Amino acid sequence: MNRGVYFIIGGIVSLGLIGLMIYGLFFASNPKSIPSAQIDKAAKPFQTTTFDGEPISLEKFRGQPLVLNFWASWCVACRAEARIIERAHQDYTPKGAAFVGIAINDKRADSLRFIAKYGKTYILAPDDKMGTISLDYGVTAVPETFLIDKQGIIRHKILGSVDYRTIAQFLEEQLATN
Amino acid sequence: MNKQALVFITALFLLLGSAFSISFADQLDDRTREIAHKLRCPTCQALSVKESEAGLAVNMKMSIRQMLEEGKSEEEILKFFEERYGEWILRSPKKEGFNLVLWITPIALVVIASVILIFLIRKRNLKNADSNQNPGIDEKEKKRIDQEFEKASHR
Repeated sequence: MNRGVYFIIGGIVSLGLIGLMIYGLFFASNPKSIPSAQIDKAAKPFQTTTFDGEPISLEKFRGQPLVLNFWASWCVACRAEARIIERAHQDYTPKGAAFVGIAINDKRADSLRFIAKYGKTYILAPDDKMGTISLDYGVTAVPETFLIDKQGIIRHKILGSVDYRTIAQFLEEQLATN
Repeated sequence: MNKQALVFITALFLLLGSAFSISFADQLDDRTREIAHKLRCPTCQALSVKESEAGLAVNMKMSIRQMLEEGKSEEEILKFFEERYGEWILRSPKKEGFNLVLWITPIALVVIASVILIFLIRKRNLKNADSNQNPGIDEKEKKRIDQEFEKASHR
């Protein structure tokens, strides 16, 4: 085999390795393309106090399908979905579903302003300073929504703004079963 | 013990106590950074939790520090995050199953490349040694010289 062939083989191998490195650094590490480790697992118990001062815990929603949304007032995508979740809450809470919004890495005053501005009326509470609840749920960014079934198992996780149809479809299925 | 000695001893204890607590806090910070470097920032790409100042990464650093204060080991802390985020959160793949290929391949490549290099160098050295023993004379040339000698001796 002559020297040129060695160079070509070496070049192809080197280019392949560089390509793999670029893929690993910029594409394979995209959190949005990584499946959640939480799906089909029991939702982690949490306890917090709502902005209205009422203590809540996951236990309180046992037996109800739950839409658990993580948001923040500084998050642009959260503005778009605020009204969608509120509408779903108006439609499905009377039928037996539950909606909880946890504000993360947010100032209390900013959260309250956001709640008032977008007319959010479902259960809303801040996470603690360390973000214990969001870390327990493996949150990667806001907004992020978990759809939890009546048995307390996480069935879906939606990264980014959630759409009404996804919530409605899940809740219809859940509420149709006893 | 007089009053001055009592004040001196108290001050000494306070000084030693604060020095010890500072050094303990420094150790905790170092360990926090060390573990944070082994975790991938969930919000950003290609950055470790240690390198990132994103809100969630900051929360993760606080959480690591708290777990260290509670006496948890590095293994337990990494497992905590792996359970919640999946193996993806670990910057180094675990040394088990298919991941072993990722760990072994670079070492195997270096070994194979070294063996090929040694083989090529030895081959070249042997060729050089051989050409030193018979500088520039191959079989054909030798035959031609012999024939020339023979012709000359017959004259």
